[in-house]
Amino acid sequence: MSHPSPSHAAHDAHGSHGDAGHHHVASAGLFFNVLVALLFLTVITVAASRFDFGSANLLIAMLIASVKAALVMSIFMHLKWDTAVNRIMFLSSFLFLSLLFLFTLADLSTRGMDEQLQRVSAPVADQWKHPNPSGGGAHH
Amino acid sequence: MSDHAHHSVVIPAPGPGFQDHVVAHHFDTADQEFDACKLGFWLFLATEILLFGGLFAAYFYFHQMYPETFVACGKTLSWKLGALNTTVLLLSSWTMAMGVRSAQTSEKGKLLVYCALTVLGAAIFMVVKFFEYSAKIDHGFLPGRFFTDPAGELAHLEFPNMFFSIYFTMTGIHGLHVLIGAALIIWIMVGAKRGRFHAGYYLPVDLVGLYWHLVDLIWIFLFPLLYLVP
Repeated sequence: MSHPSPSHAAHDAHGSHGDAGHHHVASAGLFFNVLVALLFLTVITVAASRFDFGSANLLIAMLIASVKAALVMSIFMHLKWDTAVNRIMFLSSFLFLSLLFLFTLADLSTRGMDEQLQRVSAPVADQWKHPNPSGGGAHH
Repeated sequence: MSDHAHHSVVIPAPGPGFQDHVVAHHFDTADQEFDACKLGFWLFLATEILLFGGLFAAYFYFHQMYPETFVACGKTLSWKLGALNTTVLLLSSWTMAMGVRSAQTSEKGKLLVYCALTVLGAAIFMVVKFFEYSAKIDHGFLPGRFFTDPAGELAHLEFPNMFFSIYFTMTGIHGLHVLIGAALIIWIMVGAKRGRFHAGYYLPVDLVGLYWHLVDLIWIFLFPLLYLVP
């Protein structure tokens, strides 16, 4: 980002940026390779869900999804060749998102440590009843 | 100062069948226009991440509270249809990326074909989603107090309605994005047909492309979380 000065604009209609990365045209081959990688990772996602890694299940699923997301963002969305300010603008949303997740996690992991909280949640839990508890039967 | 305020910058058409692009009068250069619009769009996409982020936080929260419910309810969804839609969206993301590339290289015909294929992907996605929603409605697997489950299939679970609240909210807002994205791509096709987009000016194609990739990005996380509940 530069400060647009009238004199600069007058003799340089094509902008004040030297970097060609701006209007980068990615190769079609690269796009195709990314597509193949994304489809392959989708197979991995389904395959990984067949195994039980216990409490790591969620983490593993999110890790594979994050690799896919990184490919889409950096190549399909051209973030790899985009300006620093655009990269910071978009990626900062993930920073703020992590704050939301962090404090949500803090709440979750400290539940039950306070008897009072447990008592408060009880009447709320009693409000909803399954509309057809004896409907089809034969389930476990 | 006064001189360039009256003369707009014009990016000439690269050849017959294309239109000149007149840079909006409040910009000094084409690059300034491109940068300003793109920065604004990335800011918008950041708010989209935060919109869906709140829903993902809700998912993680209730998944942690009622893991058995989430795993069992996730099995009522067809992972095959979910995987099919994932494949369709990934392919459409690729066709969109190729469409933007075609605009950058002034290949009008290719741009139109890639956009049409992307819209086709959006249509297939929504048709699959329609059948999935119909099946859930038939079983009474609906959000919150609309949950009926007349057969009592999920009666052994704690708050199965909670899972479907999250399922319908997340996939519903995502589906809305698919529809908006498809409409925007059709709008791009109208402009492309008139020769508005070429190597000198492809900003709208670029921005709509980014929007479409975001739709794909969200689904990449929704698929394992809802259809293959970990």
